[in-house]
Amino acid sequence: MKRFNHFDATSIEDAVSLLQKHKDASYVIAGGSDLVGCLKDKIWMAYPEAIINLKTIPGLKEIRTDEDGLHLGALVTLTEIAESDIVKKEWAGLAEAARRTASALLRNIGTIAGNICQENRCWYYRYPNKIGGSIDCVRKGGKRCLAVPGDHRFHSIFGQVKKCIAVNPSDTAPALIALNAVVKTTTRDVAIDAFFSAEMGSQSTVLDRDEIVTEILVPHPAPGSASAFRKLAYRKAIDFAMVNCAAAITVEGGNVISARICLNGVHNNPRRCQESEALLIGQPLTDALAKQAGELAVAEAKPLLQNIYKVQMAKTIVADTLMDCAE
Amino acid sequence: MIPAEQQTKLIKLTVNGETRALSVETHWTLSKVLRNECGHTGTKEACGEGACGSCTVLIDGVAVPACMVLAVEQEGKEIETIEGLSKGGTLHPIQEAWLEEYGAQCGFCSPGMIMSTKALLSKNPDPTVDEIKEAIGGNLCICNNYEHIINAVRSAAKKMAKEQGRG
Repeated sequence: MKRFNHFDATSIEDAVSLLQKHKDASYVIAGGSDLVGCLKDKIWMAYPEAIINLKTIPGLKEIRTDEDGLHLGALVTLTEIAESDIVKKEWAGLAEAARRTASALLRNIGTIAGNICQENRCWYYRYPNKIGGSIDCVRKGGKRCLAVPGDHRFHSIFGQVKKCIAVNPSDTAPALIALNAVVKTTTRDVAIDAFFSAEMGSQSTVLDRDEIVTEILVPHPAPGSASAFRKLAYRKAIDFAMVNCAAAITVEGGNVISARICLNGVHNNPRRCQESEALLIGQPLTDALAKQAGELAVAEAKPLLQNIYKVQMAKTIVADTLMDCAE
Repeated sequence: MIPAEQQTKLIKLTVNGETRALSVETHWTLSKVLRNECGHTGTKEACGEGACGSCTVLIDGVAVPACMVLAVEQEGKEIETIEGLSKGGTLHPIQEAWLEEYGAQCGFCSPGMIMSTKALLSKNPDPTVDEIKEAIGGNLCICNNYEHIINAVRSAAKKMAKEQGRG
């Protein structure tokens, strides 16, 4: 790592004004499991001059429920979510997603806001500077993508956004999308469906440079609802998902009345499976129907040579996650 | 350019109950400071990206990879390293269990494994094999000695239960 200015923010307003003061050359740090890795490898063309610590701000570490739902402070760690009895009971898909993220050690430092704000993953984009220099790929504003002609076994199977095929690796993102969460920032409330945006260039979310996530609100599920999460990764204990899936289903009188299904690790943004959702409405959730929903989820897949295997994975994981909800 | 006076910070770091004032550069990680400034070389650093767990230490009782946290952010926290386990030449029950069950082969992962085990047993004194696997999932052993390590954790749990009069 190189040197930078380090500030301990005393309040959210303080952090925002520090971000504004060091525009374009500053980052906020919460857990740091993504940021410290980026700093160590010097993956960006410009090195930040200021790092602003949010952990010194009081009141961002709270898990509480009230009438509108579950309020998760931005700095609540993934371990705290995974072990929270409140979350496990009503928002099982989210608790499971937090439990399956990375390893126990990283869950202890990684925060929920950091997990949804992490940068997309591609080994060319994140190529360390110390081994021959970092790569100026399209995601960093460069001319070409090295993954398309190169090794893209973990990359997007749903095409490109701005010529980039790096995938969003977050495990909690699909769970929050299935549960229809709202991300509260310093300036606005963003519905989670509109939060992820690889279209902005070299970032994964719609956040402005001086905007900070303060809280995530997950509404109470309707009576008769169930949610589930599944993940496929090389090593179960630690790796990023090759494909993961979260689903939330509401059943009334034996028939599905609402469904939200989201895949991640398959595209630049988490991908909602709206065709599969529409198929389920008004029908009883059976094995055959879940399989059909899985087929629909990958109907538009455009895999590359080395990641065709992910299509089969995505198809199966959607069906399996739906059946988890039915149990 | 960053002014020279802002590149370093004076912090008070509490390691194994002993508080010391240190002048650290803002970009130094905790593992670097523990090894180079405090002389606690029991904390090993291998991958440097939080993926192997060999640098595991406890911060306020929670196991974290020391290579992924900045030292300047640890002021006022209780840090515990492998050096803090044995008291007056007597090994900690976890360390004894490691010896008896052959928990170490080359021994490089052992400090991290033992710190993860300590965090697990303080939260869950009687873990199942699955719970042990989940808790040490972030600690890699290059010798593939996992079978013995899991036995060592179970034996440590029994030893500690006996010591506290629960067994």
